[in-house]
Amino acid sequence: MTAAVKGIAALLRFRELMFLLVARDLKVRYKRSILGMLWTLLNPLLQMLVYTLVFSRIMRIGVPQFPVFLLAGLLPWTLISVSATSSALSLLNNQGLIRKIAVPQAVYPLSIVGSKLVDLAVSLVPLAVIAAALGRPPGSAWLLLVPAVVVATCFAAGLSLLFSSLTVFFRDVRHLIDILFQIWFYVTPIIYPHEFLEKLGSPLLRSVLSLNPATPIIRWFQMVVYEGRPPDLRTAALATISAAATLVLGFAVFQRLEDEHIHYF
Amino acid sequence: MAGAISFQNVGVCFRMHREKVTTLKEAVLGRFRHLRDAEVFWAARGVSFECRPGDSIGMIGHNGSGKSTLLKTAAGVLKPTEGSVRIEGRISPMIELAAGFDPELTGRDNVFLNGALMGYSRREMASKLDRIVDFSELGEFIDVPVKNYSSGMYARLGFAIAADVEPEILIVDEVLAVGDERFQAKCMDRIRDIRAGGTTIFFVSHAMEQVAALCDRVLVMHHGKLVFDGPAEEAIRRYRELQGFRPDAAPHPRSA
Repeated sequence: MTAAVKGIAALLRFRELMFLLVARDLKVRYKRSILGMLWTLLNPLLQMLVYTLVFSRIMRIGVPQFPVFLLAGLLPWTLISVSATSSALSLLNNQGLIRKIAVPQAVYPLSIVGSKLVDLAVSLVPLAVIAAALGRPPGSAWLLLVPAVVVATCFAAGLSLLFSSLTVFFRDVRHLIDILFQIWFYVTPIIYPHEFLEKLGSPLLRSVLSLNPATPIIRWFQMVVYEGRPPDLRTAALATISAAATLVLGFAVFQRLEDEHIHYF
Repeated sequence: MAGAISFQNVGVCFRMHREKVTTLKEAVLGRFRHLRDAEVFWAARGVSFECRPGDSIGMIGHNGSGKSTLLKTAAGVLKPTEGSVRIEGRISPMIELAAGFDPELTGRDNVFLNGALMGYSRREMASKLDRIVDFSELGEFIDVPVKNYSSGMYARLGFAIAADVEPEILIVDEVLAVGDERFQAKCMDRIRDIRAGGTTIFFVSHAMEQVAALCDRVLVMHHGKLVFDGPAEEAIRRYRELQGFRPDAAPHPRSA
């Protein structure tokens, strides 16, 4: 327990470093690109166009104002999946620094989560515009996006810490998580409403999929943005528990293995 | 007390992974082999010494004698496998200057990034920025991405940052071999000033005259063991003895 407290205190001492690493990531990412930050907005919008074409026009999934529904789930999902997949390489990419300067190594995966969080915050603007344009204008329920974003960020941070550390020992992990997140995306109710899962024929499949820790977090966003209401208590509680448990697990594993990383680069 | 260093019976062990595979069974089991029974190599073992605040200690030894390993242990990058290391006070590790530079960022951004890596706030670094730019003699190049710097400019900026952060312990690893003669002299002066200010200096170099000029006490490392701890002159003699090397016979030691 004391080790955990010390670890957190050390991280807090280096919060400025985390901000700088986030700023570095954003600066380097958009260097020499004409559209710059606009890509952060365009990326989910282009994905939205494709998914809307496929699932709303071709496959007729029957969700009114599909773009609003889709973006509500896709934006937090992108935070989670992109954070975890990019963080997986963060320790390897920063090994030059890790070998020379003693800072809590968690700053490297966490700063990646931070920069993806900026992306999410920026993308909320076009989401609000599209929601308003399609007749679901943002209301006071949107204030509950703040805790939703906190919960999603904790979940993303937990996964990022876990995968970044494991990748150092098993380089297979980075290939594995690409596949993991593809499958995970399709079993999470993002492109289809969660009722589809409840109507599944096989009770086994239904109960397995109901254990998906990402579902309550995504549902929270959909309830607020698409349904325009606060999340029900059960969803909010499940989302919070799932995020907290993931963060604790990720942090604990990371802290246990941190000193060993340098021997496996 | 701030500035004290204490090594108690410190050993640092590395695992050496051989990648030779001879049988199918090994090829399969070998996939997990990197997690266990690797050959161990003690880069340093049984090292003990104490250093009071304000001391300046040198460390010399042949390549691979364990100097850098101990330095990295002092800097907190490596954890000792056995024994204990106690460091009191703020450390500025000049281990490979410019280690924390991001080539895409400008010199100015890198000053802040490097400062943050050493635990300094933006405000603290902002107040040092002018002095750092001044010392590094970079002038307007401070706003150019550092990937366009010459290696001398890189090193000058790195030294200027590390020298300006008012550490309680300054760790210097072989960094003065950079820059032209005039800048090297300027760096030595700066280190002397820092030392006069009461900062503990931990200095590693192959340049014996620099070690002799800067350190009252010198540790000699030989194949991972601390073999001598005492005055600089004697330490250098001991080191050369162990090497079987007489500088007066150089550069043709074999022709004698």
